[in-house]
Amino acid sequence: MIEIKNLVKKFDSFTAVNNLNLTVDSGEIFGFLGPNGAGKTTTVKMIAGIMFPTLGEIIVDGINVSKNPYEAKKKIAYIPDEPFVYPNLTAREFLRLIADIYEIDRKQADKSIEEYLSKFELLDRADKLLGSFSHGMKQKVMVAGVLMRNPKVILFDEPTVGLDPKSVKNFKEMIVSQTKKGVSVFMCTHILEMAEKICGRVGIIYEGKMVSCGPVEEILRVKNKNSLEDAFLEFTK
Amino acid sequence: MKVFILFRRKILSLYNSFSSASGWKAVKNIIFLLVGLSLISGLYISFVRVLKYLHSVELIGEILIWKLTAMVFLMSFSMIMISSVVIAINTLYYSFDLKFLASSPLKPQDIFADKCADTVFYSSWTLMAAMIPYVFALMKTMNLGFGFFAVFTAASLPFAALASFFGIALSLFTMYFFPSSKTRDVFWIIGSLSVAFVYAAFRMAKPEYLLRPDTLEIVAKYINFLQAPTAAYLPSWWLTKTLTSYAAGKTVFILWLFLLYGFFSAFYYAVIKSASAFYLKGLSGAQNGSSFSGSPYRSWEEKAAEKFKFKKIFFCLLSKERKTFFREIKHWSQIILIIALVFVYVFSVKNLPLDSPDMKSFICFLNIGAAGFVVSAVALRFLFTSISLEGNSFWILKSSPIKTEDIFYAKLLFYCVPTIFLSFLLTGLSNYFLGADRFIFSISLFAITVITFTLCVLGISFGAIYPDFKVENIHQVESSYGGFLFMAFSMGYIALSVAVLAGPVQMHFMSRFNPAYIFEKKWLWISLTFFFFFSFILSQIFWKIGLNKAEKYEI
Repeated sequence: MIEIKNLVKKFDSFTAVNNLNLTVDSGEIFGFLGPNGAGKTTTVKMIAGIMFPTLGEIIVDGINVSKNPYEAKKKIAYIPDEPFVYPNLTAREFLRLIADIYEIDRKQADKSIEEYLSKFELLDRADKLLGSFSHGMKQKVMVAGVLMRNPKVILFDEPTVGLDPKSVKNFKEMIVSQTKKGVSVFMCTHILEMAEKICGRVGIIYEGKMVSCGPVEEILRVKNKNSLEDAFLEFTK
Repeated sequence: MKVFILFRRKILSLYNSFSSASGWKAVKNIIFLLVGLSLISGLYISFVRVLKYLHSVELIGEILIWKLTAMVFLMSFSMIMISSVVIAINTLYYSFDLKFLASSPLKPQDIFADKCADTVFYSSWTLMAAMIPYVFALMKTMNLGFGFFAVFTAASLPFAALASFFGIALSLFTMYFFPSSKTRDVFWIIGSLSVAFVYAAFRMAKPEYLLRPDTLEIVAKYINFLQAPTAAYLPSWWLTKTLTSYAAGKTVFILWLFLLYGFFSAFYYAVIKSASAFYLKGLSGAQNGSSFSGSPYRSWEEKAAEKFKFKKIFFCLLSKERKTFFREIKHWSQIILIIALVFVYVFSVKNLPLDSPDMKSFICFLNIGAAGFVVSAVALRFLFTSISLEGNSFWILKSSPIKTEDIFYAKLLFYCVPTIFLSFLLTGLSNYFLGADRFIFSISLFAITVITFTLCVLGISFGAIYPDFKVENIHQVESSYGGFLFMAFSMGYIALSVAVLAGPVQMHFMSRFNPAYIFEKKWLWISLTFFFFFSFILSQIFWKIGLNKAEKYEI
């Protein structure tokens, strides 16, 4: 579960996130939408504990991220929009590093690594350097790294950029299966169609403020539109 | 001509980077400019002293000066050529804008020519800048007017371009026949080995003997050596002849100038023509990924992590640090250069013209400062940069449940052990060759161990205080404001350390010269304790500041 209370982030005089309040329940997929520069990535980074709020607080599974980042990070899995990884580690070495950092039992980790690499069709590249991987392949390795560690909260920033159609389908299925285990998924995306299909609720952020939040049907009803795209354009005019 | 359109973007970028500098950035630029100017002034003063000394030698003073000038040009030519081998492969095949340029309606030779200009600039500007104070010193010593500098400027352009074009041509043909990303790695190693070789070979040639005619047995042989051309077939000699002819008032200097420009034009034409046929194949091959395969088995650090569970994260990070370091080819080239540096350092110490054992022991003590300087340069290169080199991947550690202290400790252990080994080599071998007495031997080894450890801690701490995760290459981190502060602080710390230890060393020498003098051991212990504690406290303070800063990074 994620609880965001009165969250503010300022960069000098510029307010990137302005008094954001939000709760994402266990087992829920929340879609976070907004135009470029609206404050989506800043919000996700603050939840992940790699950026610090100017005001307000974020509580993940009962732990305050600012006050106890070490414990909070054990429960969070974050994938940024750009899949920056260690180019001089192989895919297997990278996933083992992640497994060790998150204290996953080694036998279990080795089994999961094989399983996910196979699922993402990367088993034959397991011992190749990540620097030689394409954008989509790196993204798959990062998704594998998230799924193998059983987090309580998953944060995605544009998760399907660079993934092939088959992997996008696999990804969606896996996300849904994670929510069945009670995982909260917070997903920033520009792909409104995906948000419409898999998100229980969506929030639209514009110039740092949440301008709309709720189930897709409710958002469409407010603006009297038939598609999320039209409603989104109306809210961010 | 599209080459000129491409060239315009460089000028615009340069103009924008200067015009956009304001506030603190502008102040930093001015500081760097002043430091650069003071370095150039220092070089000028040193060159004037050397040249005036040579000029004062009767009968052969002028010959000596031109011989030295020819050697300087030959060395510069070799260094530019070697640098261009390494730089050309990067600029021609791995520049960030190549995908944009190659997908634009531009002829391959236009893109190639644009990248050649980058190569010539990057491989030659530092050496050419260092040559300016030498030329001014030459003008001052030999009373030459500004026309001399104009001729030098005109001749140095084809000189630098020719040296760089050797590397460019080599890269072009090698990438054509071996179009693979591995070729770049091979070039890095070959380039580094060549620099190391030239550096060591130049030192072993004992150039100081040029200043001591008495060391050559037969004077006639010496004069012949001085008057012989220095590599007559290379442009460095043509540049020398241009300048000597002009200085002697002979118009033949124009012919030498023509030779430089003529040869460069022909070479340029041949390389650009070849590029139209060869460049694109190499460019395509350069985009092949690495074929490196890692082992599926766990490393020794990962096995240790399983045994020592209380330090699991530390060992995992150590494993990551080791693998990412040794798989980066640029680090190997630095290691090769450090090995050459140690060799030249020890060789120079061994050949110091010292006669008395006391003087040798005294030099061993001062050697702590020199070795400390080398260690601080190594710490700047490897420890200071280690945080910034996490680069865009730093989010992985930052978003993980890892204590920042563990990241610091893994880096410290990984880099500190070999750096202490290096400092032991520099001081231990110097002490051995100079025959230092037991007291000096012990105190210098103790001091260099403490100094090295402190510099390693300071390197990581300063690197954490002044990080830059967005740099394109390691040299930008080294030459940053933080790097400059680290070096300045390190120099101050080393000077203070040597000053603190100078007291007991002075007492030691006094008791050797005068048996009646009483060596008071309490002062030795006070100095050592003070030195140890201020090093420890300094490390602690900066370690804490660095940790505090790193925990507050927003990426």
